[in-house]
Amino acid sequence: MVIHLIALVLYLAAFLLWLRTLVAGGRSGGALAAWTAAAGVALHLAAAMRYAAVFRELPLVGLGPSLSMLALLTGVGLVGALAVREGERVGIVLLPLAILLQATALVAGIRPSGVAPDFRGPWFVLHAGLGLAGVVGIAVAGAAGWLYLAQFRELKAKRMGRLFQFLPPLSTLDRLGRVGTRVGFVLLTLSLALAWAWTVRFHGTFGQDRAEMWWGVFSWLVVLVAIVARGLGEGPPERRSATANALAFLLIATGYLLLRLSARPGVGFL
Amino acid sequence: MALTLVGLSHHTAPVEVRERLAFPGGQAARALVALREAGVAEAVLLATCNRTELYLNPDSDAALARVEVFLAETAGPLPGSLGRYLYRRVGDEVALHLFRVVAGLDSMVVGEAEVQGQVRDAYQRSAATDPGMTGAVLNRLFQTALAVGGRVRSETSVGEGTASVASVAVDLARKIFGDLRGRRILLVGAGDTADRVVAALGREGVEGVMVANRTYDRALDLAGKLRGRALRLDETTRALADADIVLTSTSAPHPLITRAMLAEAHPGGLARPLLMVDIAIPRDVEPEVGGLPNVFLYNVDDLQRILDEHLDRRRAAAVPAEALVEREALAFASWQRSLEVVPAIRELRERGEVVRAREVEALLTRMGHLSEADRAAVEAFSRRLLNQLLHEPTTRLREAAEEGRADQMIETVRFLRGGEDDG
Repeated sequence: MVIHLIALVLYLAAFLLWLRTLVAGGRSGGALAAWTAAAGVALHLAAAMRYAAVFRELPLVGLGPSLSMLALLTGVGLVGALAVREGERVGIVLLPLAILLQATALVAGIRPSGVAPDFRGPWFVLHAGLGLAGVVGIAVAGAAGWLYLAQFRELKAKRMGRLFQFLPPLSTLDRLGRVGTRVGFVLLTLSLALAWAWTVRFHGTFGQDRAEMWWGVFSWLVVLVAIVARGLGEGPPERRSATANALAFLLIATGYLLLRLSARPGVGFL
Repeated sequence: MALTLVGLSHHTAPVEVRERLAFPGGQAARALVALREAGVAEAVLLATCNRTELYLNPDSDAALARVEVFLAETAGPLPGSLGRYLYRRVGDEVALHLFRVVAGLDSMVVGEAEVQGQVRDAYQRSAATDPGMTGAVLNRLFQTALAVGGRVRSETSVGEGTASVASVAVDLARKIFGDLRGRRILLVGAGDTADRVVAALGREGVEGVMVANRTYDRALDLAGKLRGRALRLDETTRALADADIVLTSTSAPHPLITRAMLAEAHPGGLARPLLMVDIAIPRDVEPEVGGLPNVFLYNVDDLQRILDEHLDRRRAAAVPAEALVEREALAFASWQRSLEVVPAIRELRERGEVVRAREVEALLTRMGHLSEADRAAVEAFSRRLLNQLLHEPTTRLREAAEEGRADQMIETVRFLRGGEDDG
């Protein structure tokens, strides 16, 4: 728990550094913020490995462990965005998300849930890992989408203030959105295919009426629509794509929250 | 003699005078050689389009007089004497002036960043002269100045935002396209500002300049200069389909680029962003074009408003920047004052060393049975003892000098030393 807490503090520090950079008009502090976030991700990874060593399972089952894993993968997504020049500035959206997830996980308790799902072993690890990584791809694309729309608005409104200086170029945000959505879609597809294959093999049926399944299928469809939206309709494709990515992530996150809140007591959901 | 500055700038001299002392190309290096031959040992020559300044650590009034003669000879005949345009700063004022210059606080456009590189070049040019024309004081002055310039730009907003139409255009293009390499620009009309914008975009890697002009010969001429392609004005619609950036600056009485033309150039709507910078009055681009979804249209008023906002922000940030510069100038002045006691400290140490060497030699003569290792240990011990005894007085002397009591301290050292015989 202590390492998880330190990782949370580092995410928070990185976010505050981003805010300082934003207030300073994007002139300084960006590199320090990125390194602080990367240090947080490294520590978070160490915490996840320690969890696996102590409890002999990956932190994928139960509210606390799964949210913490999602926070970790969000951080990994941010580190991935470092590869693109100025791409790391999506941290201004991704870090609050990682902070919220990790803080909720810590409040809920990052420990095994005691639920023993029938779907377990390597199948489950691959399915959950790919699924969460896919959601993170969408989160990166969603964050890039929000920032694209903000920068587009600044350019159209002819404002060249601090937000304009802080935000990355439209082309960078578009590239991040495109890569995030496509990677997310592929990973989600593989995750769903694995779950489906397992269900067919071990339960002899094509589907089960489970919240996770509905959320997974819903998410997959939403991402598919976001990808298709780029090539359809009127207006600039980049802007349409940014809007679709931003909405897609919002819908997936809202869907998760609704299912989570409406889940019957004692019934495990992620 | 104290550190001295002789120079002129946009505050004191019109461009006709400044250009006489501009020292373009390799002339600055040749001027330094000429100054050395005139007997000036330490000098840094800063020559920009808005100022020419000589920073000197002269060893005599005569050297300073030779500098002014050199400047007058270089400028040649002027309406009135050169002296009426020159300003002089001496001692602590020099550091304060240079720090303000390097921070962009003395510039025509407050906060401009170019001067930092110009000061660095000037300093390096003097240091690289063979033999170097910068001693301990000028080295420290310029190294501190460059650090102060960096701090002012990173710790205050004085350099925030852009300060010319060309830099605004480059900023906009960067924020839309990111990497500008390979982007294509369509220039409609010509003019100084347009030339500057195209040159600034060219430095960022924008290629494939297309030049459209009412007079085809003029388009050919400009295209040749910009290594671009000349177009007739009626080819503009076709060129709009290829361009990423459009820059217009004609004197046409009515808009040359209309919404209908863009619709014709991009029948399915604009699939990629198009930046349009219209610096013409009356406007060359129909205002309705700005309403198209992927078009970012900026006219002269938009650019001027952006520039005004940036300059307002810079002026507000100049207050903390001035405070920072003053603090650093005071620190530099303290350091300079501490140098005044250096000869006294050196004298004190030399005397201590004489006494130490004499006493160690006497001791070792009496103790001839000591091994080489023991003799070395005694020698090292005596050096350590001397250093420790002198450390505190040395530090105190420097501190007192920094507080402006150098003369008093030098007198005290002389009094303590007295007329004692070293031998």
